[in-house]
Amino acid sequence: MQDSDRIFAANRARGRIALGVASADGYTRRTQVDEEGSLRVRFPNRIAAECEAVIVNTAGGVAGGDRFAIEVAVGAGADLVVTGAAAEKVYRAIGTDSEMSVTLSVAAGGSLRWLPQETILFDRARLDRSIDVDLAEGASLLLAEAVVFGRSAMGERVAQGKLTDRWRVRRGGRLVFAETLRLDGGIADMLGKPAVARGGAAIATLLLVPGSDDAVANVRALGEHFTGEVGLSCWNGIALARLCAQDGAALRRDLVAVLAALDSRTLPRLWLN
Amino acid sequence: MSGKKKNLPLVKEPRERKRSEVAGRPMVRDASLRDAPHHEAVGGACESEPLILRSRAKPGVSKDKGALHSSALYRLMAWLSPSYPVGAFSYSSGIEWAVETGDVKDAATLKEWLAVMMEQGGGFCDAVFLAHAHRATLDDDGRALRAVAELAAAFAPSKERHLETTAQGRAFVEATRAAWHCPALDLLAKAWDGPVAYPVAVGVAAAGHGIAVEPALHAFLHAVAANWISAGVRLVPLGQTDGQRVLAALEPVIATTAQRALTSSLDDIGSAAFRADLASMKHETQYTRLFRS
Repeated sequence: MQDSDRIFAANRARGRIALGVASADGYTRRTQVDEEGSLRVRFPNRIAAECEAVIVNTAGGVAGGDRFAIEVAVGAGADLVVTGAAAEKVYRAIGTDSEMSVTLSVAAGGSLRWLPQETILFDRARLDRSIDVDLAEGASLLLAEAVVFGRSAMGERVAQGKLTDRWRVRRGGRLVFAETLRLDGGIADMLGKPAVARGGAAIATLLLVPGSDDAVANVRALGEHFTGEVGLSCWNGIALARLCAQDGAALRRDLVAVLAALDSRTLPRLWLN
Repeated sequence: MSGKKKNLPLVKEPRERKRSEVAGRPMVRDASLRDAPHHEAVGGACESEPLILRSRAKPGVSKDKGALHSSALYRLMAWLSPSYPVGAFSYSSGIEWAVETGDVKDAATLKEWLAVMMEQGGGFCDAVFLAHAHRATLDDDGRALRAVAELAAAFAPSKERHLETTAQGRAFVEATRAAWHCPALDLLAKAWDGPVAYPVAVGVAAAGHGIAVEPALHAFLHAVAANWISAGVRLVPLGQTDGQRVLAALEPVIATTAQRALTSSLDDIGSAAFRADLASMKHETQYTRLFRS
């Protein structure tokens, strides 16, 4: 091994969070908070019916070869909302891909809102992400993930790179939704294609379980108020929304509107800054 | 397919016979020439290389390099023709919305839209599902078949695309059970009791009839592309000749997609066709609709 390789390998960030919450006397209390490496989780509020957790990556972003894992378990009847302190930035990778694995489980009567802020990809970023969700019958989930390809206000674009985002969602042991977003190679050229993003640089996918036609109708009623495109669908007991916008700012406006229409609870304060 | 072409054996012959030379790349290897009535088609285990058929007694495939046994060709053409009763004509995979927005407005934009759907969207994913269902059937591996059937049924990007794949899958299984039964369909029913995605149904039937995976993939992807084009031709509208030009232009795209699917694991599936998926969601509330998706 060359010196430069050794130095590179020694500087890869590792991070892991294992967070568990349970319900007791109408409050949601933490039962497990494990933190390793550069990932931390903070709880800005008093103990309440819903627990708010804020994930902080002290590495300040994600670089090639970094590996992060987040495990969240919500006990029966407990309510948890998870967000991030800032948008997660994924920087240019040299060689190895960055890996991020998210494992979420919710017991019966439990509720999880997984609402991290945007993931921002820089040119030549290579991110391999997986999100595995295991829901008991009677558990509920609201999950939103947004990806911004380059900060367009800064004149950035992602000419090359890789993003794979693999989602597998089980409910009562049954696989109810699976998809993998895969963009590999000339990202800007691909995003330019009408069937991919028609030049848009920001996309988001939202998942609501259990899905309801009423929730979908509430969002559709917003009609032409969106800046970008918003599509919704409800099947297999889930509801799904896809958003595609020109840039991160437009996407966030639409995302906040969709979240408000899908779910009456307020967004974490960090979202509204 | 003329009977005068001696390199395409049309006559059933239970014995080994001399390997004839046929130009072109091999689709099947070392398969026996022994033919069988299709009701005796196999669905059980056999020795096979990954996804390439190489078995002792497979009906429907010939030993000739590059040649597809005529009975295999006959069955693929029957199952994947627009007249097979799966109702393919009623689905547009969201193309109806893409025409509404102007994303698809002529032959060139239709070809570009479909190339993404084929190479980096649902076409590729379905091809991988077909290949894995085919392999699991040849291996008589109920667990593997269940895994691919479950994933394929959950891997729909919207309600209408879910309907499209599961309604066609169910219709394909029913029609094939009635007219072209093979024990492999029983293996599928035993392995998976949920909705059956269309490519899984085709993969199981093809393997059950001893049809090699590569021609089955090509025939399936051709049928999918031809159906998308047919929707585009009716919606834009385009001339029939323009439709054929798009189909001709997609030939290399389908070839590379099928080839990639043969070497892909179930974890390799993935789609970049975000707005094509979005289109199938927007289609649900489209004011005037000819298609169910």
